[in-house]
Amino acid sequence: MTAALGRYLILLSLLAATAGALVAFASAARRNDTGWRWTRRLAYAYAAAIAAANAMMIWALLRPDFSVGYVATVGSRSVPKWVAVVSLWSSLEGSILFWGFVLGVYLAAATWRSHASQAEYLPWASGVWLSTAAFFSLLLAGPAQPFATVPFPPSDGPGPNALLQNHVLMAVHPPFLYAGYVGITIPFGLAVAALFAGRLGAGLLRTLRIWLLVPWTFLTVAIVLGGWWAYEVLGWGGYWAWDPVENASLLPWLTATAALHSALLVERRAVLKGWTVSLVIASFLLTILGTFMTRSGVFNSVHAFTQSPIGPAILAFLALATVFSLVLLAWRIDALAPEGRLEPGLSRDTLLLLGNLLLIVFAFTVLIGTVFPLIVDAVRHQQMSVGRPYFDRMVVPLGVGLLILKGLGPALPWRRSSKPTLLGALLWPLVGAVLAAGVGLAAGARNAWTLLTLFFAGYAAQVALRELWRPVSQRLSRASAERPRIGRRRVAAHVVHLGAVVVFVGVAVSSTMGVSKEVALSKGESFAIGHYTLTFAGADVVSEAHREAVVARVDVAQDGRRLATMAPRMNYYASQQNPVGTPAVRSNVFEDLYLSLLNVDPSRQTLGLHALVNPMVGWIWAGMIVMALGAGVALLPARRPLPDNGRAGGASDADVPDAR
Amino acid sequence: MNRKVFVIGLIVALPLVALLFASLSRDPTRIESPLIGRPAPAFRLAPLDGGAPLTLDSLRGRVIVLNFWATWCVPCVEEHAALAQAAQQFGRETAFLGVVYEDSAPEVRTFLGRSGAAYPMVMDEGGRTAIAYGVYGVPETFFISADGVIVDKHVGPLTPERLSQLIARAKARAGGGRS
Repeated sequence: MTAALGRYLILLSLLAATAGALVAFASAARRNDTGWRWTRRLAYAYAAAIAAANAMMIWALLRPDFSVGYVATVGSRSVPKWVAVVSLWSSLEGSILFWGFVLGVYLAAATWRSHASQAEYLPWASGVWLSTAAFFSLLLAGPAQPFATVPFPPSDGPGPNALLQNHVLMAVHPPFLYAGYVGITIPFGLAVAALFAGRLGAGLLRTLRIWLLVPWTFLTVAIVLGGWWAYEVLGWGGYWAWDPVENASLLPWLTATAALHSALLVERRAVLKGWTVSLVIASFLLTILGTFMTRSGVFNSVHAFTQSPIGPAILAFLALATVFSLVLLAWRIDALAPEGRLEPGLSRDTLLLLGNLLLIVFAFTVLIGTVFPLIVDAVRHQQMSVGRPYFDRMVVPLGVGLLILKGLGPALPWRRSSKPTLLGALLWPLVGAVLAAGVGLAAGARNAWTLLTLFFAGYAAQVALRELWRPVSQRLSRASAERPRIGRRRVAAHVVHLGAVVVFVGVAVSSTMGVSKEVALSKGESFAIGHYTLTFAGADVVSEAHREAVVARVDVAQDGRRLATMAPRMNYYASQQNPVGTPAVRSNVFEDLYLSLLNVDPSRQTLGLHALVNPMVGWIWAGMIVMALGAGVALLPARRPLPDNGRAGGASDADVPDAR
Repeated sequence: MNRKVFVIGLIVALPLVALLFASLSRDPTRIESPLIGRPAPAFRLAPLDGGAPLTLDSLRGRVIVLNFWATWCVPCVEEHAALAQAAQQFGRETAFLGVVYEDSAPEVRTFLGRSGAAYPMVMDEGGRTAIAYGVYGVPETFFISADGVIVDKHVGPLTPERLSQLIARAKARAGGGRS
């Protein structure tokens, strides 16, 4: 019954999305108002149908109703309620269903935010959005059917993958990732609309930028949360392994970041319109590539779903979307010709351009490293993996290059300026740079890349902090409304930069200055790592509702003073042959003490322990939160509505050409 | 129509999409063994039913199908029928040997009592032979030529077709002699 109803809802969503896409394209080509009204209704109908299907699935998972195919594969009577809900996206079919839901929310929101002045391009965008929705509904109706009827329902199911049950971050990371991935559909539609309409005016640019910033923010949070989850759960002491699926989430982030920056040049100089549109389109295609990588079974990864028939379907969609995008770009990109020009010389403008190129090189580097094993396998039938050494060698210089630009760019004025101005702008932040590198040296940093990172992080931090201090100081010196105010968007940008600088520092320090030890201990024995003394106080067997666990107690002392007892553990799930280790982490501002069990024997009270002191890992999570807050500031609705040809920023540069 | 954009886009996208299509049949969990083409590691294993230990040398001169398995492993149980049938078919010139991996003798006896024992089973105490052969998980099956060289390794359950195909390959190798 539930299964049949679910199938009807999915068919309904497929119908609404397909009809909506057709009506949207037709009304876009003919500029037909009735068609546009119907497109909006059908978009809402799609969102409602897919949301109802999701609600139905959650209900079935909570009961649990094993006559529903998906519930029979991932449901279980013994899991806690939150795990039951999380199971919605823990396996292939459910994850596609959830994908549809997120797309429905975005579609409804983007449709709701649209208004009459956008009639020239929104039908095109809606057509693209609804076509994408139709594809995912088609997957749900066919190869990834979550609502199959089970004729003889089992009395209990295996429950979701144990790794997913093991940490509450798993309830948070995927929704953010989907909100990031799926959301890029919206700016993609707008970019396609700009190509069809043949212009990227100020109004469309603003809409595009906002709808790009929303998924970008979610993706930023998701990438860091993914690292955080890996760190807290997988127990190898790190947070990023250059795993294909991790790379898949990074690729669209890099191109979207580039697009957010090149949009500034579109806005101010009316250049790079075609380039920006191409970057947005590339970001969308990369999200589909990432979806394929996670779900085709072609890549081996801790995050990947198992082999499935929907791989070819997603690949066909990727190929179709790529061909469509290429033909459209080639056909229409000349309509987006630059109206201004970029002056040569050292300025914020040229550094933005340079940053864009670096981001693209970065993306290509990651992409090549990710698919290289496939090339080798296809050409020479050999297996190989591209690991950390390649990525570290290639990506570290690129990352430091980006950090340098992040400091220099915002320090410089827009447009060309005189030498003394440039020198004044560039020299002053060296104070922060020397300070940060000095602190690093004093704390024992000797790695050249780490010191370089600290140096330029200090530089960029000072630039960002000065820019953030400016509005405050202006207020303090009773700035009047006539004085040019520093816009909120600009404040937001500097907050995001500051957060990113903190992430850079955390990554550089934690990856070069950690200590790690592997020891075998019997009860009562101790050893020293960093300035901690660790003593194995014993191991216990614990029985919990949905799992059994062996918990080791490790006493932590520093300078003879007892600090805490840490409890790394092995969790045993009924559905899983191998135990799932859960590390214990004790954090302070400067370092984490990280304990992970290699093996534990409760009967003989022996322990194999991997202990690490990871400096400044917490800065990565903190930096991410600052970045998200900054982006949130930029997304808050404007205090007063701006006219369509107005500028959302408030920068001192007053000559933004009207891009029409 | 901007040809340049189209051509550049094609140059970037086309090989990538083609590569992904070509990789669809790829199985990333397949792990190739460095042992292929090398002499098989020697072993000395106690038969399940007692008696003198079986060694690699005592089986030399025949193609050996060395199957690592356990009763707790579902794919192993699935492939058991195929192996038993092949052992009857090729039993004269091919030696089948089931190496019990991390399992207890009583469990194995119960299982064989139900599904029949068509070829000898040996116990791998402490998993030393499995380690020597680099067994990653069960079932894994090694095909050893008459002159004692590992010709193939199969991971996962075997089908009758695949079995006879791999046995034929191991025999062909013996016919060619040591190269």
